[in-house]
Amino acid sequence: MALDLSIIADNAGLFAKGAVATVYISLAAIAAGLLIAFPVALLRLSPRRVMSWPAMAYVELFRNIPFIVMLSLFFYGLPFFGLRLQPMTTGIVALALFGSAYFAEIVRGAILSVPRGQMESARAIGMSYLRALREIIFPQMLRFFIPAATNTSISLVKESAVLATLSVAELTYQGLIVQGQTYAPFEVFLATAAIYWGLTALLAAGFRASERRLGGQGRRGFSSRHRLAARYLSLEPEPRS
Amino acid sequence: MTALPVLSVRGLRKSFGAMTAVAGVDLDVGAGEIVCIIGPSGCGKSTFLRCINYLERPDEGTVRIAGDYIGREPAAAGGTRLQSGRQIDRMRPRVGLVFQQFHLWPHLSALENIARAPIRLRGVDRDEAEAQARRLLARFGLAAKADRMPADLSGGEKQRVAIARALAMKPELMLFDEPTSALDPEVVGDVLRLMKELAEEGMTMVVVTHELGFARKVADRIVFFDAGRIAEMGPPDELIDRPRSERLRLFLSHFQ
Repeated sequence: MALDLSIIADNAGLFAKGAVATVYISLAAIAAGLLIAFPVALLRLSPRRVMSWPAMAYVELFRNIPFIVMLSLFFYGLPFFGLRLQPMTTGIVALALFGSAYFAEIVRGAILSVPRGQMESARAIGMSYLRALREIIFPQMLRFFIPAATNTSISLVKESAVLATLSVAELTYQGLIVQGQTYAPFEVFLATAAIYWGLTALLAAGFRASERRLGGQGRRGFSSRHRLAARYLSLEPEPRS
Repeated sequence: MTALPVLSVRGLRKSFGAMTAVAGVDLDVGAGEIVCIIGPSGCGKSTFLRCINYLERPDEGTVRIAGDYIGREPAAAGGTRLQSGRQIDRMRPRVGLVFQQFHLWPHLSALENIARAPIRLRGVDRDEAEAQARRLLARFGLAAKADRMPADLSGGEKQRVAIARALAMKPELMLFDEPTSALDPEVVGDVLRLMKELAEEGMTMVVVTHELGFARKVADRIVFFDAGRIAEMGPPDELIDRPRSERLRLFLSHFQ
């Protein structure tokens, strides 16, 4: 069979609209999910059960239900409690909560990946728990956190396709519309897949850039060795004390 | 009336589940005094040290630094009550703690490891804090290493930076938790020499150590810890040369 690329060109506007909506939904859900994740992770790490149990229940609740089921529960269930939200809003809220459960576990694991002594030496010198987290633990946990958070964020972009079931006009929904009009599923879904791929690749690149900016060291670890090596290799005299 | 002891510990107890690590310890350390704590591993000496600045929360007992309570203070209604987290955080810089494994912050340069806490916690401005950090580094023979990351320092250098980091907060008391146990034999001497200098300058120090030679030369008093208690205490030559208990004799025999 031959690919008819004109089908995609003719409907480029719809694809573009869908892509914009998918980006909007995904970024909002990722940002909100990350924001919720930090306090949940910190509560989960608390030695006090009254703090850690609710956080654990939260994570287990949102992590153990298929997203499409959770979304339907929100959309059809919330109106019974007097809360009537737009499908788009419902979708973003549901996706953010779904993502926050995963992000919270990533934050927790990342904090635990930093050796205990780091927190102890920060506290011993007089830093508060939150300051020690911010200044000592967070910079060191990024190497663990960013790759895992990238995975989950990509999953959320893909999971946002489920919002098509609520007729939210995101990428997959637009693909289905175009398919219904053109009866050319292969071209349409190939284009849809390519756009998803492009979006997630961009997202991953964004995370890598943030890793370089925030961590500064990336996979090399916290070392000045490469800098030193460069200096030695340059054959310039090494300053001595 | 004698001067207030820099460290005053009363009735300190700490258990982990069924295991008692510190079983009721009283200890006073006067200004400028050097106390070395020795004892078999698992005898509670490290836990005792970590209880002094509330890195471990003791189950009972009080700790005072130059008269001020840290962690638990007498309550108006009698008994004692736990201080707020903020109160404890404010007391901690008055006690410097040096760890066996250094625990330098690997994402910060040697200079920043030393300057960070004075800047953030004491409100010292950056130029002044860095100047002070450079002075400390220079004094410890590390002037050229200011911009190195901890990963690029040797063990001995790391421990000297860690000591400088603690000193930058101008503590009234320094605690050392086996500061040379993780070091290569050839650099142990460097760190011990530095600690000896500190002692000679009048710093009050409590040192948990296995370096009997250091304890004998530098300590004013040696405390022998056994099963979470102070089993014997006295000046070095008395305690090391004329141990009273069989336990201490046995412990010392391992060092011959």
